Amino acid sequence: MNEFDQAYLVPDGTDLQGIKDAFVGHYEIAEDEPRDLLRRFHDTFDWSLYHAGTVLEERSDGSRRELIWRSLRGDSPDLTWNIDRDPGFAADLPPGPEASRLASLVGIRRLLPLLEVHTRITTWRLLNEDDKTVVRLELEQNRYEDKGRERRGPISTRMRLHSVKGYEIDLQETKRLLQEDLGLSTNRTELLLEALAAAGRKPADYSSQLDFRLDPERRADATAKEILLHLLNTIEDNIPGTRANLDSEFLHDLRVAIRRTRSALTQIKDVFAPDLVERNKEAFGWLGEITGPVRDLDVYLLDFNDYQASLPEALRPHLEPLRDFIHAHYGAEQKALVEHLDSKRFRDLLREWRAFLEAPVPERSVVPNAMRPVKAVADERIWTMYKRVRKEGRAITPASPPEDMHELRKSCKKLRYLIEFFDSLYPKQEVRQLVKLMKVLLDNLGNFQDLAVQADHLRDMAQRMRDETHASTDTLLTMGVLVGHLLEHQHRAREEFAQIFMTFDSEEHQALFTSLFTPPKRKRKGA
Amino acid sequence: MKIIASYNIKGGVGKTATAVNLAYLSAREGNRTLIWDLDPQGAATYYFRVKPKIRGGTRALVSGHRDLDDLVKGTDFESLDLLPADFSYRNMDLVLEENKRPTKQLQKLLAPMGIAYDYVFLDCPPSISLVSENVFRASHVLLVPMIPTTLSARTLDQLQEFLEGHDGLGKVNLMPFFSMVDRRKHLHVHLMETLPESFPTFLKASIPYASDVERMGLNRMPLPAYTPPSNPVTRAYEALWTEIKEGLAKTGRW
Repeated sequence: MNEFDQAYLVPDGTDLQGIKDAFVGHYEIAEDEPRDLLRRFHDTFDWSLYHAGTVLEERSDGSRRELIWRSLRGDSPDLTWNIDRDPGFAADLPPGPEASRLASLVGIRRLLPLLEVHTRITTWRLLNEDDKTVVRLELEQNRYEDKGRERRGPISTRMRLHSVKGYEIDLQETKRLLQEDLGLSTNRTELLLEALAAAGRKPADYSSQLDFRLDPERRADATAKEILLHLLNTIEDNIPGTRANLDSEFLHDLRVAIRRTRSALTQIKDVFAPDLVERNKEAFGWLGEITGPVRDLDVYLLDFNDYQASLPEALRPHLEPLRDFIHAHYGAEQKALVEHLDSKRFRDLLREWRAFLEAPVPERSVVPNAMRPVKAVADERIWTMYKRVRKEGRAITPASPPEDMHELRKSCKKLRYLIEFFDSLYPKQEVRQLVKLMKVLLDNLGNFQDLAVQADHLRDMAQRMRDETHASTDTLLTMGVLVGHLLEHQHRAREEFAQIFMTFDSEEHQALFTSLFTPPKRKRKGA
Repeated sequence: MKIIASYNIKGGVGKTATAVNLAYLSAREGNRTLIWDLDPQGAATYYFRVKPKIRGGTRALVSGHRDLDDLVKGTDFESLDLLPADFSYRNMDLVLEENKRPTKQLQKLLAPMGIAYDYVFLDCPPSISLVSENVFRASHVLLVPMIPTTLSARTLDQLQEFLEGHDGLGKVNLMPFFSMVDRRKHLHVHLMETLPESFPTFLKASIPYASDVERMGLNRMPLPAYTPPSNPVTRAYEALWTEIKEGLAKTGRW
């Protein structure tokens, strides 16, 4: 019954014979045949396991593969699964409460290999005068390999002690020899973190969240470039995963970054030359278009089980042809998307855009807002957009056409993005409260519109399924029920709107917007 | 947890080799296995290179003053632990006698070990005594290694009589098998054909006589740990272990 006891770090260049010599007169050493271990570390692209303070390590020694999920701080017991294939989605793991916990962290993202560590383990058995093994000492010599970046090299050797039950005194003696005579120190550095550092990588180097630290006095055009450059990085980060369709979040994050880019371009007004804005607004509009069809199918597939569950049990099987239909068209849409991403037009667009963003801003600019401090421009833009949202929202009555709701949603999105771009210029807590408020309103407007679009789209698909695959009457009727459900939900969203907007437009929130964003000269006017 | 005792009234029939080799095979399959060397001579303890001594001796152990688990020693083999012999075990009968229910003490001591172990092997001293009665009560299987001689049948009769004559002992799975078999001897071959007829639970596997087994004392480790997999004695122990597990599965008592 061995148990993990303690790990030591063997400094680079340490003579292993010197370590062996330290045991002379205390124990004989029997050395077992070395064995090789391959460790592959996995996480999602957005580092969800790392953010939760955990590490997922796959270990294989040629005869078996296991997946070990442990805490970065070593403060909770490891979980282990035996596996026979690459860990992909959480749903592919052997089911159980641990897999559910992992699933709650990684969600719909795929587990991807971060890097590998090749370990050669040599076991030294310390023998007493009866040649009985009393302590096991495992020497782990490690090399990392980052295949994606073609980097490899050695990382620290570690030494692990394993006690033999009933021989704890010998373990204490061994620890004493290692610590006092050899001066080795215990190791708490997670292997993954050391390997990442050696490979020149930082954990959590990707997030789809915006997290700017802006200088309020900096020029607005330079700040806009900083924001847009971050968004361009996000776009480029997500292209390989989108091309390979590793999971649906790559495309999603890509599309969000495209939308934010368009919003930043058009809403941080008058900081760049108008023709440049116009040209790129159009270009990023095109990106939105080419990435749309696959995303639409993704949304169906992600929601499919929920759709199916919302139907009476007897109808559920009839929806399966829809899933097949989506899958059948998915390949073609994905192929078209990849062709666009590989096209000269796409590559030129990103290259030129980067060149523009990385170029320093002109010393002097005639564009009205370019040289103003960004805080002043942000105040103005947010305030103007807020007033527009308020005006459009207040004008909506139960009789208003859907187009009015749609317009309001567009304004709301612009406002939200503006607040998110510039949130570091304002008190954190208040801004966070407003963003949350916007989110509730946007969810409602989003439901109203997306459900209507989905219902339309479903009707379209039903038509195509009838024409292309001679879908059965049962399937078409079932899709009809689904359309009914979607429209019902949409109707509910419309009914809830008034209440939600009223909350958004409460006196308290009005005061908050006013205090945060009223541009200084307006304040003077009011005083 | 399944408790398997290796027992015979007679000495020198291969009890210790049986317990040591089977315990090793069990652990090799990944079962968490404990072997308890109950024989004050400490042969099993010697095979595992452990010192034949337990702190506080028999009295501390039987009285429950020391947890059995604290006395356990890890062997050189994964999943295989040993509870060593102690010379004071020669007085175990006397110590057991001092307790209220003297025939159920080992059962009581072993019960908590079920958390840590899948199989426990008891290497018993020869003779019929209070210790052996304790062993019969605690065990699921009573393995009886027997050299095929005319006296063997008598030994087995005696044992069966004893088990039937005591309340609660009739339930143990009596599994005799032939040990130290020399097929060059006509008598061995003859007895191996006839004796099992009167004992339906007699195991089919048998262990040949071999100098390899004697070398366990020199190598101080279980036979399968130092012989190649093709070794006939090792294979005989593997067949025996398989048959015991099948027998256990059939009885379905746990």
